[in-house]
Amino acid sequence: MKVIICGAGQVGWQIARHLSGEKNDVTIVDTNPELVRRATETLDVQGVVGFASHPDVLARAGARDADMIIAATHSDEVNMVCCQIAQAAFDITRKIARIRAQSYLETGYSDLYNSDRLAIDVIISPEREVAEAALQRLAAPATFDTEVFMGGRAQLLGIQLSEDCPVLNTPLRQLNELFSTLRAIVVGIRRDGRLFAPDPGDHLEAEDQIYVFTHVEDVNRALEIFGKQTKKQERVIVIGGGNVGLTVARALEARSDRVRVKIIEKDRATAEAAADALERTIVLNGDGMNIDLLSEAAVDRADALLAVTDDDKTNLLVSVRAKQAGCRMAIALVNDPTLAPLMAPLDIDAYINPRATTVSSILRHIRHGRVRHVYSVGDAEAEMIEAQVMTTSPIAGKHVRDIDFPEGVLVGAVMKGDRVMKPTGELRIEPGDVVALFAMTKDVHEVERLLQVSIDFF
Amino acid sequence: MRVRLAEVPFIIVLLGAVGLLCWLPAGHALILRDHRTAQAFLYAGLALMVLAGMLAIATADPQAGNRARSQLAALAGAYLGLPVAMALPVALAVPDTSWTNAWFEMLSCFTTTGATVYEPGRLPPSVHLWRALSGWLGGFFALLAAYAILTPLNLGGAEVLSGRVPGHDAGGAGQAGRLSGISRRLNRHAAELLPVYAAVTLLLWVLLLIVGEDGLLALSHAMGTISASGITAGIGMSVTASGLPGEILIFAFLIFALSRRTWPRLPGMPRREALHEDPELRLAAAITLVVVAVLLLRHLALEIEVRQMESMPGLFRAFWGAAFTAVSFLSTTGYESAHWTSARDWSGLGAPGLMLLGLAMVGGGVATCAGGVKLLRVHALLLLGGRELDRIVHPSSVTGGGAERRRLSRSGAYMAWVFFMFFAIAIFVVTGALTLVGIDFTRAMVFAIAALTTTGPLATVAGPEPFSYAGLGVVAKVILGMAMIVGRLEILAVIALLAPAAWRR
Repeated sequence: MKVIICGAGQVGWQIARHLSGEKNDVTIVDTNPELVRRATETLDVQGVVGFASHPDVLARAGARDADMIIAATHSDEVNMVCCQIAQAAFDITRKIARIRAQSYLETGYSDLYNSDRLAIDVIISPEREVAEAALQRLAAPATFDTEVFMGGRAQLLGIQLSEDCPVLNTPLRQLNELFSTLRAIVVGIRRDGRLFAPDPGDHLEAEDQIYVFTHVEDVNRALEIFGKQTKKQERVIVIGGGNVGLTVARALEARSDRVRVKIIEKDRATAEAAADALERTIVLNGDGMNIDLLSEAAVDRADALLAVTDDDKTNLLVSVRAKQAGCRMAIALVNDPTLAPLMAPLDIDAYINPRATTVSSILRHIRHGRVRHVYSVGDAEAEMIEAQVMTTSPIAGKHVRDIDFPEGVLVGAVMKGDRVMKPTGELRIEPGDVVALFAMTKDVHEVERLLQVSIDFF
Repeated sequence: MRVRLAEVPFIIVLLGAVGLLCWLPAGHALILRDHRTAQAFLYAGLALMVLAGMLAIATADPQAGNRARSQLAALAGAYLGLPVAMALPVALAVPDTSWTNAWFEMLSCFTTTGATVYEPGRLPPSVHLWRALSGWLGGFFALLAAYAILTPLNLGGAEVLSGRVPGHDAGGAGQAGRLSGISRRLNRHAAELLPVYAAVTLLLWVLLLIVGEDGLLALSHAMGTISASGITAGIGMSVTASGLPGEILIFAFLIFALSRRTWPRLPGMPRREALHEDPELRLAAAITLVVVAVLLLRHLALEIEVRQMESMPGLFRAFWGAAFTAVSFLSTTGYESAHWTSARDWSGLGAPGLMLLGLAMVGGGVATCAGGVKLLRVHALLLLGGRELDRIVHPSSVTGGGAERRRLSRSGAYMAWVFFMFFAIAIFVVTGALTLVGIDFTRAMVFAIAALTTTGPLATVAGPEPFSYAGLGVVAKVILGMAMIVGRLEILAVIALLAPAAWRR
């Protein structure tokens, strides 16, 4: 597939890395020659320097025979015009744009985007994605990472194991027998910084980070088994009242269980705008790092603190400070993926990487066809792929134990109709079933072959 | 020589209008074959019109002063001068009356106070019509002043919304005003307001006639309601002969004194959502509910306890009496429900009239015919109060609700507070002055509040026994007259007019 990516920033670069790794013909366009050079040198992509929305630049990037354009420059307007030109001048079939400004996204105008008007097939809003990610993290307080699959019926949980976890040093096979009614399966273990898909004989150790794929009804039970208490969150503090903070607070206000939200925002005008848009939420104006302000927001009694300012260091420091002051949980927004290893030593419970969430959601839309959902785990170390099994697929009609999965691939769950089932050796996979597969990055291509997506689409 | 109306000082135009209006009671008296009264009004009207015509020729000046102070001075001049002109036919028509009494009577009509020194039976019907007409004209003048003079000068409630220093025509509306000139502004707003004002009055009159009210009484009640003057041609303050339907009609039309949103849009004041979201109306509803609850619920609870429930109609009458009277005094109109007595008896409180004093002090909406502190200012102060309570818990919290609301709770509330303090000082000064001329303290205070809030009927219902204006001395009447003008003009306007900075050239 021939893909043009406009913008070689973090999002564009990550997508280019993913797509080129999957043997696609990727061209990256950016005005900054330095970024383009870096991309072409480190990744297997072509580069074009120029203004992404100019037709001649797009033509040079090979727009005439491209299948897809992904507009991820920093400017909403350039992204929109890019898609428009791609439609009008080159008739590219799939057009994805990243759009930030809330006004473009308001539901009242959402029929703006179709091929007759603004020719954009898929709109990715980083703020919205981040807010959603934040809400998911809040919903599963004991996890460091979560994602919803199978239309909300299954969930991937990332759990940090501690010494008091009751199931340490037990082989996974035995755990499976012990909790036979639990519809959950350990799909990945990160030990000493290395992520791998476990064998049935592997056992869990303290300080492991594990990924558990579970039925949504068993989330709390699974968390209990792995030694995590679930507690309802009543008091939430949000640091930063910009788009992300506002969206999170709005969603929390809309929830029926009366969550009490406080927002701390430094800029007076932004704080006032946030206060205008919210009803029950208390908006405090001041520096989130200020301990007086934090105690005014009753940080010692807060169930969770969400640091979503645009500055990574502020987010990290506020989270640390809040944890130290007695807040039960801290979630930080971190733009720089290399800061991720700092979370454990800093005792920050979870982090959100807006670019990773954006990349994830763009990938989900790229791999369309039978693949319904893709979630990038960790620093693109592995992927959780949800896909429908086709009749032509080599796995259709086989028992799970007979399928020749690569070493780094595990079945998380199988959904027949709308029933989510735990995979067992005897389970037969029928055409039309939906499977959720955990795959290490090196095995993604093989998974796609198994799912016949490559032939179907690429 | 041709004199254009726009070049004549506004006060002269008004004088001519008063003269012209004199002929209306004259005609009325003629139909009633009361030739003495008709004569008085005819001649007074003629004299006033001739005077106005001569003054118009003498003072016509295309370059008429346009500065803030001269506008306010014209306004104050109208309140000082016009009642004298209005008193002319009264002094001629009513036998054995003093000029002071006639002047006081007409001043109280023109300022929409509605305090009367005459026994209702003593005045011929045409003079009652003249009183109602003056009150109605006064209401219109108050409305026009608010639209064309006070709001562009950032006075009369606009200062609470804008949060700027009152008495200066800085900013958008003021600039437009300076360009267009005061005469044109007055003409424009008069043309905009008069049809609405007259139509609403006419509608209420017709409706009152339909429910079976006597013609003159219905007209004076319609005029008294729309202008919030509370002038009546009947005996006592209890309203209609038509009973409950008439009261319900008047109750419905009192809304015009509670919110400026019922009138055409004011330039410079923001357009808002639906009427039911208007803070002034909401506040008025809340205050009324509280008053009714305080008056009746205690007694109702007692009744239920001893299981001696009166019949439901009696209960309803008491509630209605309390609600109608509360709204009527809140809008500084001063009509009293026929069932107010039963409400008062029900309450079992010592002096429910004191509650009416409080209601009148709160007053109606800004830029309406009502007086008092005005609902918008009270609203701003309440916002500030709520805000301060919030700040005790969260010192750095930010209020939501939009920029306008925030301004209202900050600089707007400050302006409202300044006004409130001036109002309190004015009550203190007027009460003090009245006690100096030998009126006992309770009466002095009730009179002072009645005059400053332009709610004349307060004197008859608020005290332990009805106080009469008739027994007051000349000095007391002059003091009260000045208090009415101050209350009508709003103290900030008077201060802006008298401020030492304005004396400098």
